[in-house]
Amino acid sequence: MDQAAILDHQFRVAAYVITWVIQLGYLTWLGLKWRSIKRAAKQ
Amino acid sequence: MKKLVIGLYVLLTVALMVWGYYQAIYVAPNDAMQGEIFRIIYYHVPSFAVAFVFFAINLVGSIGFLVFRRDFPGRAQIADAFALAGAEVGVVFCTVGLTTGPLWARRAWGIWWTWDARLTTTLVLWLIYVSYLLLRRFAAGSQMQTLAAVLAIFGALDVPIVYMANRWWRTQHPAPVFGGAAGSGMDPSMLGPFLWNMLAWFAWGVMILAIRFSVERLQQKNAEAEARAALEG
Repeated sequence: MDQAAILDHQFRVAAYVITWVIQLGYLTWLGLKWRSIKRAAKQ
Repeated sequence: MKKLVIGLYVLLTVALMVWGYYQAIYVAPNDAMQGEIFRIIYYHVPSFAVAFVFFAINLVGSIGFLVFRRDFPGRAQIADAFALAGAEVGVVFCTVGLTTGPLWARRAWGIWWTWDARLTTTLVLWLIYVSYLLLRRFAAGSQMQTLAAVLAIFGALDVPIVYMANRWWRTQHPAPVFGGAAGSGMDPSMLGPFLWNMLAWFAWGVMILAIRFSVERLQQKNAEAEARAALEG
């Protein structure tokens, strides 16, 4: 594997990882928001 | 029954995401010119496609809110919840597109960013919808939803400009792959994986949109209950 192919691979992996960090981070935030609203509704 | 349908939809979406990833990494070939970095297309383009559709949902919801707000307050609140969900989830997908794009650009063009028409209008689009969300978060008073709806209508004007930017002007960003000039298009060996990922990201987007909409409706109902309790003393 030459240097360019290694860099391509690393950049591609970074793009996929960043995508999932953003998506799952947002999903987690939604889950926390949902839980706090439910708690507030019970009170 | 409702829980079963939701569970099945979530399962289907996860299965589609796994299948899309498999298609993008193990089925699609490397691009002859760009090599492996081209595979970013399977996340980058669907992210913007979903963002554009959700900004359109924000537009429809905002218009709905303005139409219903006087005579049908219940419907107006539903429209407003759709508008907010569309904008927020749209911004998430737009953020994905704006972060995966520079990673691709660095390898393909040798630069992270350039102020060409496509990239600049996309950044402006993101800023418009971030300001919409900030307005909703920090503005107080009964006019907040109306102001946000009006801003959303102006914001939506940028969507077709972004879409047409690399057709109207010469840009560093490549010419359209689909619906572009003669000879544009994608090799069938890449088109299948691309369409699977498009479907998977739309399924994921709809799931997230539905969750965001439900959260907002719950919050609206809480606020209504609090207001009613305050009036009743």
